[in-house]
Amino acid sequence: MDDLSPDQKRLVTLMVGYQKGNMDDFAVLYAELEQPLRRYLWTFVRDTATVDDLLQTTFLQVHRARHTYTPPRPVRPWLYAITRHTALMHLRSRRRRKEYLADEDLPEVPVPPEVERLGDRLMVRKLLLELPRSDREILTLHHLMGLSFAEVASVVGISAGAAKVRAHRAIRSLRERLASEGAER
Amino acid sequence: MTGHPLPEALRKAVEADSRPVRALPALWRRILAIVIAAVALLAAVVVTHTLRPDLETLSIWLGWGATIVEIIVGISLIGLALRESVPGQAIPRPAVAIAVATGLVVNFLVAIATWVGTKGSGMTGMPGCGVICMRTGIWIAIPAVLVTLILVLRALPLRPCVVGLLGGAGAGLMADGINHLLCPLSDLRHVLVWHTGAILCLMAAGWLAGKTWEILRSRRG
Repeated sequence: MDDLSPDQKRLVTLMVGYQKGNMDDFAVLYAELEQPLRRYLWTFVRDTATVDDLLQTTFLQVHRARHTYTPPRPVRPWLYAITRHTALMHLRSRRRRKEYLADEDLPEVPVPPEVERLGDRLMVRKLLLELPRSDREILTLHHLMGLSFAEVASVVGISAGAAKVRAHRAIRSLRERLASEGAER
Repeated sequence: MTGHPLPEALRKAVEADSRPVRALPALWRRILAIVIAAVALLAAVVVTHTLRPDLETLSIWLGWGATIVEIIVGISLIGLALRESVPGQAIPRPAVAIAVATGLVVNFLVAIATWVGTKGSGMTGMPGCGVICMRTGIWIAIPAVLVTLILVLRALPLRPCVVGLLGGAGAGLMADGINHLLCPLSDLRHVLVWHTGAILCLMAAGWLAGKTWEILRSRRG
């Protein structure tokens, strides 16, 4: 546990308390992680009501699977993996029901600070939405949620090297698109 | 605290089941359970079955050595399946492919080495003995599959197909290692068709079981 940051150590302590049946620790975990998880869910779905539903489903799933967290591993990769699974299950069932979103439903997609620096906020937001979902997800997990590439890899199921390459490729693609958009104006 | 307070519905659902839970044991402890199962299985088979007649003439490496190597690789594959079954510890797809391919290559190398080592002088077999060998391999794998399944069900596999594939390959390879001590046939065609075939069947069964689980879970929502 020595190699964890103070913030990570605190989450581990809360998680251990929660596993021991302390519901106050669960309430603190919820309060701490609700916003980051909400932002992460925005990379999968595009409306507030669905994000709210998925957030609730995620925490219920977390509760049912709380014994699968093994201290002192970092809490975030475990939690994001469950969140990702909940979102992907939702997308799969929506595809089965053949539900599609209209373009006007475009969401308040979270913009990582690393990406925001590239240019005009609105334009960045629009171009970010045009990225493949998998690339946007890696940008969000690494640049917005602060997960290391190794942690991103263990959430998404790819190698750390592949995560790094995808993030760099996505940033480069955004930069190029911003440059070409700027030239067109 | 930085976020919103706990929604009422979620609070009620969580409070309805707030008993303390025991965290999943560390991976090495779960692998230890598989090692114990493998040793018990090997001991049980050696005690209750007649070993291959040419075991005395085979070198120690081609006899017991090949068995131990296959069992170790099988346990490693099951270890990967157990790791994959915990959220946030996903194994990259290329690593899964390499691990499964390594298992098959080890099986192939053992088959070739035994064939060359016996100079093709092993028994050629009778019609139907391939089916018996395959059935024996699958029967021997069942205890390993059950122990793996119990350990996997304790966790939360987010990609059950991958877990099933790795678990099936591991149990199949482990069983083939033990079957190597029983089957008197060294003929390469026999081993590749029926022994490797048993491993492939278990891999396919694991993958299918995972797929079925995934479909049922997504339907339940």
